[in-house]
Amino acid sequence: MFPIYWMVVTSLKNTVDIFAIPPKWFFSISFENYWYIMSDDSGFLKKILNSAIASTLNALFTLLLAFPAAYSMSRYKTGGINLLMWFLSIRMIPPIVGAIPLFIIFSKLGLVDTFIALPILYIIINLPFAIWMIKSFMDEIPKEIDESAYVEGCSTTGVIFKIIVPLIRPGIFATLVFCFIMSWNEFLIAYIFTRKEAITAPVGVARFITERQILWGYITAGATLASILPMILLIIFQKNLVRGLTLGAVK
Amino acid sequence: MVIPAVLILLLLTIYPFIYLIYVSSHIWPISPTLPRIFLGFGQFTYLFQDPAFIESLQVTVNLMVVGVTLQISLGTLLAILLSTRTKITNYFTLPFMIPVFISPVVVGLIWKFMFNYDLGILNYLLEYIGVGSINWLGTPRNAFWSVVIIDTWQWTPFTTLIIKAGLDSVDQTPIEAATVDGANRFQIFRHVTFPSIAPIFTVALLFRTLDAFKAFDIIYIVTRGGPGGSTYVLGYNIWKTAFYQNQLGLAGAMSVIMIIIATILAFILVRIMKNLLERE
Repeated sequence: MFPIYWMVVTSLKNTVDIFAIPPKWFFSISFENYWYIMSDDSGFLKKILNSAIASTLNALFTLLLAFPAAYSMSRYKTGGINLLMWFLSIRMIPPIVGAIPLFIIFSKLGLVDTFIALPILYIIINLPFAIWMIKSFMDEIPKEIDESAYVEGCSTTGVIFKIIVPLIRPGIFATLVFCFIMSWNEFLIAYIFTRKEAITAPVGVARFITERQILWGYITAGATLASILPMILLIIFQKNLVRGLTLGAVK
Repeated sequence: MVIPAVLILLLLTIYPFIYLIYVSSHIWPISPTLPRIFLGFGQFTYLFQDPAFIESLQVTVNLMVVGVTLQISLGTLLAILLSTRTKITNYFTLPFMIPVFISPVVVGLIWKFMFNYDLGILNYLLEYIGVGSINWLGTPRNAFWSVVIIDTWQWTPFTTLIIKAGLDSVDQTPIEAATVDGANRFQIFRHVTFPSIAPIFTVALLFRTLDAFKAFDIIYIVTRGGPGGSTYVLGYNIWKTAFYQNQLGLAGAMSVIMIIIATILAFILVRIMKNLLERE
């Protein structure tokens, strides 16, 4: 925990205190780094906004694709264990490996540095996770509930929206949040596929390392801002998020 | 209803993969106006004679083995400690999991600051207790271990959590029986607990191995592959070759090799997961 404490503390120091030797444990709180970070000069807020757009779009895309797939795999065992494993193996591909061909393809399509590039690319990373996660929540609902609904004349759509969705609502939210956080934190793909307009927060923070100097005040302030949202989401959704991380291995 | 998901993933993986093989057989500059030259397998034969490439493979494997071994051993230790005191554990879980859920970029930057030779808090503390400053990122050996420390800090919570979940699900009856028979705690762990958590243990191991194989973010932020190539991992090598040295074809060839290795690792993981699921 200390490194995180130290990051927040440093971000609240003024430049003189940051470079003080020995490091100051007690200091007067200064928001100068945050004022700069939030000003138009740094453009950091725009990067946070870009991150939010990319992550939200990706979470929605992923859910739209994952839910029907998970439903069918949970209820009709579509593709069986092999399909489930195929999804898992997609998750294991190192992203850098896909980056080269996809970069050439996206360049040709004029998609590099657009707001749609990252949400699409993150599907590769998040969809396998999301399918596993939603399926593991659905598997916990006894099939007898579906069956009794069918007996009472409910249609498949009815079963899905009136029974399954309400029952796994926490699971659906956790999946959305999980995809959101993964996209929010991603660096490599964002770094390659954005130039100027669509830069995300992690890329923005990394750019405070300049050739001449490392702007520690801005870096720690930017890093703190970029971490607040994931931390709040972790506090709210803790158990179910952890479950996603381990593909349902931890319940 | 799996079709949309499968189609999208095929489109985003299989097609680029075929295209990657095509790219890897050419000299392929980023700028579309420059000519592409067909080489066939030329870049692959070049790579296997390129000491820098072989070294980056070596570094990747070293980092992977050392990092994962540490994370698993520490994770096991912590899991055992935590699982014996269930009540306190609940308060610990949340702050404990934070490193896993924040960006590796942030993690890398915090540690880079703490490792700083002149300004870093670590050297200050070492001076204070009289050990003297360490040049954390300045020498090849230290930089390697510093990266290991960062990775271990970020991912030990993950291994702890998985192994703890395994431990918590262990049936207590044989353990009690063994205690009655006079087995000591180590014997119980070795012969009763461990065999029953072995599968989940393997899952943690392989997950971390595959993730460690992808290492890029922390290396990029903290060391940029240096000094002297000591942290020049494969992922960083590919990125630099493609987007810094402008040789997409050569980087493509490296990517093909990386995919082959990742596939073998993933295949092992899938086999074990499959056994695990089928047993349930």
